[in-house]
Amino acid sequence: MIVTLNPRILYFSKFHPQSPLSRPSTYLCRTRNVSLITNCKLQNPRDGKTISNKSSGGGSITKTISLSDSAPPVAEETGGEISGDGVVKGGGNGGGGGDGGLGFLKRLPRKVLSVLSNLPLAITEMFTIAALMALGTVIEQGETPDFYFQKYPEDNPVLGFFTWRWIFTLGLDHMYSAPIFLGMLVLLAASLMACTYTTQIPLVKVARRWSFMKSDEAIKKQDFADTLQRASIQDLGVILMGDGYEVFMKGPSLYAFKGLAGRFAPIGVHIAMLLIMLGGTLSATGSFRGSVTVPQGLNFVMGDVLGPVGFLSVPTDAFNTEVHVNRFTMDYYDSGEVSQFHSDLSLRDLNGKEVLRKTISVNDPLRYGGVTIYQTDWSFSALQVTKDGEGPFNLAMAPIKINGDKKLYGTFLPVGDTNAPNVKGISMLARDLQSIVVYDLEGKFAGIRRPNSKLPIEIDGMKIVIEDAIGSTGLELKTDPGVPIVYAGFGALMLTTCISYLSHSQIWALQNGTTLVVGGRTNRAKNEFPDDMNRLLDQVPELIKKTSVASELS
Amino acid sequence: MIFSILEHILTHISFSVVSIVLTIYVLTLLVNLDEIIGFFDSSDKGIVITFFGITGLLFTRWIYSGHFPLSNLYESLIFLSWAFSIIHMVSYFNKKQKNHLNAITAPSTIFIQGFATSGLLNKMPQPAILVPALQSQWLMMHVSMMILGYGALLCGSLLSIALLVITFRKVGLTFWKNNITKNNLLNELFSFDVLYYINDKNSILLQQNINFRFSRNYYRYQLIEQLDYWSFRIISLGFIFLTVGILSGAVWANETWGSYWNWDPKETWAFITWTIFAIYLHIKTNRNVRGINSAIVASIGFLLIWICYFGVNLLGIGLHSYGSFTSN
Repeated sequence: MIVTLNPRILYFSKFHPQSPLSRPSTYLCRTRNVSLITNCKLQNPRDGKTISNKSSGGGSITKTISLSDSAPPVAEETGGEISGDGVVKGGGNGGGGGDGGLGFLKRLPRKVLSVLSNLPLAITEMFTIAALMALGTVIEQGETPDFYFQKYPEDNPVLGFFTWRWIFTLGLDHMYSAPIFLGMLVLLAASLMACTYTTQIPLVKVARRWSFMKSDEAIKKQDFADTLQRASIQDLGVILMGDGYEVFMKGPSLYAFKGLAGRFAPIGVHIAMLLIMLGGTLSATGSFRGSVTVPQGLNFVMGDVLGPVGFLSVPTDAFNTEVHVNRFTMDYYDSGEVSQFHSDLSLRDLNGKEVLRKTISVNDPLRYGGVTIYQTDWSFSALQVTKDGEGPFNLAMAPIKINGDKKLYGTFLPVGDTNAPNVKGISMLARDLQSIVVYDLEGKFAGIRRPNSKLPIEIDGMKIVIEDAIGSTGLELKTDPGVPIVYAGFGALMLTTCISYLSHSQIWALQNGTTLVVGGRTNRAKNEFPDDMNRLLDQVPELIKKTSVASELS
Repeated sequence: MIFSILEHILTHISFSVVSIVLTIYVLTLLVNLDEIIGFFDSSDKGIVITFFGITGLLFTRWIYSGHFPLSNLYESLIFLSWAFSIIHMVSYFNKKQKNHLNAITAPSTIFIQGFATSGLLNKMPQPAILVPALQSQWLMMHVSMMILGYGALLCGSLLSIALLVITFRKVGLTFWKNNITKNNLLNELFSFDVLYYINDKNSILLQQNINFRFSRNYYRYQLIEQLDYWSFRIISLGFIFLTVGILSGAVWANETWGSYWNWDPKETWAFITWTIFAIYLHIKTNRNVRGINSAIVASIGFLLIWICYFGVNLLGIGLHSYGSFTSN
């Protein structure tokens, strides 16, 4: 039920953040224009006190405050008896089913709805989510239990109370999938839906119902009001139309509005948020993920790599596809830093037929049958070496752990008697596929060679040629059915957030003899609005005679 | 070589001009307004010069590094001060609306510039090579939107902080402090002749025979209303940029890192900032809540932006470690 009221009347009592649930249930979630509109859907009967509240603007409203959630007695009849500016819409939601349990069940959804659409509750939820996320970045995520035992010991708690027991009870070691965090998100989603349903959509219905104002007083009560002598309402209408207003005229009255989309857009924002949440849920429950490091020249089957993430993950035919790494290369800057990785991949179906071939790189993944293959990492697989013309030998490169991010790989070419207790040999180290540092039997630096240079290096009479360096490509595979929905949400969110910046401006005018009374208001750009209005009203031509209108516009 | 000289010159021009502007601002505070009113007008032109200086600087870097100049912290700081000077210019050319933005943007520009060019970040000014993940067209969209968003949100939340300072400053002790509630009531009563009051403050003083302290409180109320309104408008604008920035970042991450959301610390803090300003905007939808509540939220947001922009980089954690102090 919707009631139009005098805009100057402020309905609700002051903000009481400390008691969000004991406040009047008519408190609205989005009250941007609430001074105009109230929503009586929320005025359902509750057990507890019923307060009658007379507002001075000619509207009388019945507010109900819920004080307890104990077993409900018989429902009271509190059909909304509301009149504001003469608009009455019937049909109270009260009454319901008379007897206890059934009536309670019937009213429960409405009750839940009104609690959820409460703005302070929504704000509290957002604050909690923000705080939990912040906590998630402070507490290390995904470590082993031992780590938390040491970092947050019981005998010396952080801040005097915070120990590992808190972390494991609340699941703070995996915050972003912890029940407490997901629960808050679900609650927020519920609030979003409730708010959209109970507050925003009724607001739209009111905003769409354009109405004329019949009296000078009503117009003069607007945020901006002016009186023009010797002016015609038709001229005003034309000027407003020129400024992009939708103009409606009936007899001596005029109503014009602009930027109605700005009033609808917040609904779009909420729906977009819900879409993103839905898509995120689908991603979390229905995707497959996996990563693999494949040496150049080898292959793998997608299905072997991909592992289900959630219970809704269903494999597709594409999982039988075989991926062959034809070639893995790295680009370098002049300074020697890596600039880009490339993997030349061939996809083959069950019959061995090539269905797709693409060179992927970071920022340029391959997509096939719902599976996306990303270039994420690299590794040094093997070194092809010939010794005195023998070979080539494939020496496996082992990663060597050093401090910092930079990678280092090393291998060892045994020389002489390999069965001796202390084998001597040539060590080779490499940071990337570009250059190999060679050390001799004593461990002294012998030289640097580039693969493919065919330039031999002589160590103790042996001619070593580094033929090739074989890299492995680090690939990440995933399927994510949520992406289309999330992207739709992203697009909608961007668009509606931008549109939300627009102001919804409304202008009323009334011709009273030769006098024109103009009033208007807007919901966002309030400070600019009077200037814009004055600029428009300055253009309204002055009537020279009562019947003829000056044609030139200043 | 020519580029680095050009860059050097442009840095110095923009920094010195903005210092002069700030000096003029301080002077107008200390000295009688009428004497240097001409200077005051020229300060806005100074910001315009700064704007062109920084624009030139960014273009120079773009040309000689071959990529969009937003790859490390130094460049993003320069870009941030550029964003501030843009906001200043917008409010300068939109002269009808007297707002107090330029008092915020000019010092912000100089602080950011000063920090970026100071010795603190000795290694940073060299343009860095782009790591593989950054080589994308999304870099331009994502980072510029984020920095513009940060700039606008910082301006808006600074206005809110100014609101808080003015509200809680102990001026007119006896009247203000002891009769806060009464005072507010009176202020609300007088809110109808706000415009009249602005037009002719002195005549109102005489006509209505209000004592000076009262009129001072009234003037303060006016200022608070203005600050409240402008911080709301600018935060709304910054919120749009932040939203577009975060979402374009998510799309980029889906192309590069394999998922549109990774709960990376920087992502998470950007989301926290977004949530806080969403709360601000929701509080603003309720007319009955006074500006002070939303201003408190906005000043929390101010801190969060710095945590998000700097704090995460300071630690150099997560996937967004490109601009960290520790790298290189």
